[in-house]
Amino acid sequence: MTTIESDICIIGSGITGILAAERLSELADADIVMVEAGSRSTPFSNRPEQRRRFIAYGENPWKDDHLDDQGGYGLMYRSMVVGGCAMHWDGACPRFSPEDFRQRSMYGVGTDWPISYDDVEPYYQDFEERIGVAGEQGPPEYDPRSRPYPLPPLPLSYNLIQLREWGANAGIPFWTQPWAKATEPYRGRAGCQRCDTCHVCPTGAKYTPDVTLDRLIDDGGLRLISGTLVRRLEVDDASTHITRAVAADRHAPDESVEFRATTFILAGGYAWSPHLLLLSSSSQFPNGLANSSGLVGKYMTGHPYMSAQIELPLELYPGIFSTSSLLSRMHARPGPLDRYVRHDLRIWNTTVERQARFRDATGVLQFGDDVMDDWRARTKQATARVRGYIDIIPDRDSTLGLDASARNQWGDPLPRIEFRDAPESVALRDHTHETMRTIFEHMARAGNGRVLSTFRSTTMEHPGGGCRMGEDPETSVTDSFGRTHDHDNLFVIGAPTLVSGGCANGTPTFCALSLRSAEEIARAFPSR
Amino acid sequence: MSTGRRDFLKTSTAAVTAAGLGGCERGDRSVSEPRTPRRLHRELLRAIGDAVLPGAIGADGREKAIVAFEVWLQEFTPNAELVHPYGGWEVAYGPEDPSPRWAEQLDDLERLARQRSMASFGELSRDDRRTLIADAIEDAGPGFPTPAEAQHVAVALMAHYFRSTEATNQVYGVAINKLQCRVITTAGEKPPALGG
Ligand SMILES: Cc1cc2nc3c(=O)[nH]c(=O)nc-3n(C[C@H](O)[C@H](O)[C@H](O)COP(=O)(O)OP(=O)(O)OC[C@H]3O[C@@H](n4cnc5c(N)ncnc54)[C@H](O)[C@@H]3O)c2cc1C
Repeated sequence: MTTIESDICIIGSGITGILAAERLSELADADIVMVEAGSRSTPFSNRPEQRRRFIAYGENPWKDDHLDDQGGYGLMYRSMVVGGCAMHWDGACPRFSPEDFRQRSMYGVGTDWPISYDDVEPYYQDFEERIGVAGEQGPPEYDPRSRPYPLPPLPLSYNLIQLREWGANAGIPFWTQPWAKATEPYRGRAGCQRCDTCHVCPTGAKYTPDVTLDRLIDDGGLRLISGTLVRRLEVDDASTHITRAVAADRHAPDESVEFRATTFILAGGYAWSPHLLLLSSSSQFPNGLANSSGLVGKYMTGHPYMSAQIELPLELYPGIFSTSSLLSRMHARPGPLDRYVRHDLRIWNTTVERQARFRDATGVLQFGDDVMDDWRARTKQATARVRGYIDIIPDRDSTLGLDASARNQWGDPLPRIEFRDAPESVALRDHTHETMRTIFEHMARAGNGRVLSTFRSTTMEHPGGGCRMGEDPETSVTDSFGRTHDHDNLFVIGAPTLVSGGCANGTPTFCALSLRSAEEIARAFPSR
Repeated sequence: MSTGRRDFLKTSTAAVTAAGLGGCERGDRSVSEPRTPRRLHRELLRAIGDAVLPGAIGADGREKAIVAFEVWLQEFTPNAELVHPYGGWEVAYGPEDPSPRWAEQLDDLERLARQRSMASFGELSRDDRRTLIADAIEDAGPGFPTPAEAQHVAVALMAHYFRSTEATNQVYGVAINKLQCRVITTAGEKPPALGG
């Protein structure tokens, strides 16, 4: 057994763990070790070539970014890799709205968070400055912020300029989506060149967590131990203190590694964090760690969406800058409501109905110039995709549990996730979809267009929960800083602590909460 | 910061200002695995190309499209791990090497041409070639599959061309240049006319 000692042991090298480590290294005079189950994926120098193959063949540009025997039913992503999922995120960076933190007191549904938007606001700003978010101040009533974005917004494409006007004609103000993409060189990153493959950015303009991690390692701010899966956390017999994390070296599966530290930070993301707490059961803690409330793995959350493809009499040019989009938070801040329906709206220009096809509308095969003529005739109209993430109330039994029928190479049961909406959201589901359909129809009419199709997702995007925060140890797993109620030296940071999933991409909120946790954790150490 | 990223920043900003194009097409290709040669019958493939690719792009345009398809096939990796879809917990893998099937289809077209017309496939009129190809195509439509998923080589060749940047520019009559890295400052402009 190898022993690695430190002051602070961070489990997981995703964006939340890495940003928390960066903040800790600024504030605390502490030795930090980060443990990561995955390995390094595609190095920066090879990303242009992987991009080429991604375009030509649809290949995964992120080599070795998952572990074959670490999966699980209901997982939203498979990545387990140095840098985590945000190595290949799209980088959309909207914040939650003040309403997301106050559902109960404002609308009489769900649960209020123990903190307000104002408590988190400085940490959103800090997050945006650390990773370089390019954005435009939206109408202040829909987009409250204390300071400007650190980078100017991505310029609107020719297509989006016209689609924004269309939105305005429909009475809905749209502005540019904030993105973690440098619009000018920023902290060592090149400026965006609208390559339109943000999944693998060949220029490094899109923020990926390895940028921060490499800098921290170079500066001696932390030690990274990769390829090492933490299998359980153990508690001192005489107290509730976590004493060590026991891990397996994936390259030498029979070798155990123990991590001893004063403070443990669980930054494994929405799935693996509650999973590890459940795996760490013992005779003293038969339901797993931090679980006196029975709520570890409960209240799993996220947001589904509804979208429409809308045909418009506009001449647009798909491909100018396809990955950029417009955002409106008008329906996320709707004011008083009779029935609780909140969602955001986004617009993209798409190629739906504007692509070449080898059978015409009647199913007849066509070749050569006929394909071109058929295609050209359809380019005289444009298609816009409009999508809204819907805020839903998670049910207590929206669950991540241990699946005894699926195990990894060490025999540990893998997670199984079954999301479930609370009855109040289930009761509103049809009304929500009808409300959104009405908005799509209204938008289509405002542009003299028509709705081609609508779609309702069944998955939960930007999942969180499983270790929800709260003031009462009987109804929550952690306090608002992620400190577990049951173990004062164990913190869970980021996504798992969410009370509800909001109706905006989650990562800015996960990271803002992690930065807030880091400040609290740093208080226990001598300051720098 | 890793050296690669630092170097990129230095070179790319210079390249963007100088040429309006970034250095993102460069990169370390040395790690690509060596591939076994994978070729289709040269003349037969061109005889198909003449029949299924647009006449409007001319013989040169069709030759370019066919060569690009040959290079694509040569660099294809069978059963490659595909990009992880958002929301999927299962890892997906691409198809096997389609070239043996496609090579057989070329032979079949040649055999059929000789059976029906006592001439080689390449000697048939464009309409006769299209008839033979249409009879052989089993791919469902209406949209093109990815080239690797195409059942028939003719569909694969068309899919490869009609999904390309060149075809999109041709059909819109302007230089959209999709998937090409370039400065963001011109994104708001209407794309310039082709050749303009
Ligand atoms: C294709 C795609 C596009 C996306 N686009 C956006 C977007 O535009 N905007 C947005 O807000 N979000 C987006 N997301 C979501 C975003 O990537 C995630 O919310 C974010 O990366 C989560 O970060 P994390 O730190 O919580 O967890 P993760 O990134 O999952 O990191 C956790 C790390 O911990 C490691 N780990 C877990 N358990 C253990 C253990 N027991 N021992 C050792 N290591 C462990 C894991 O291997 C992993 O690397 C996208 C996701 C995907 C897949």
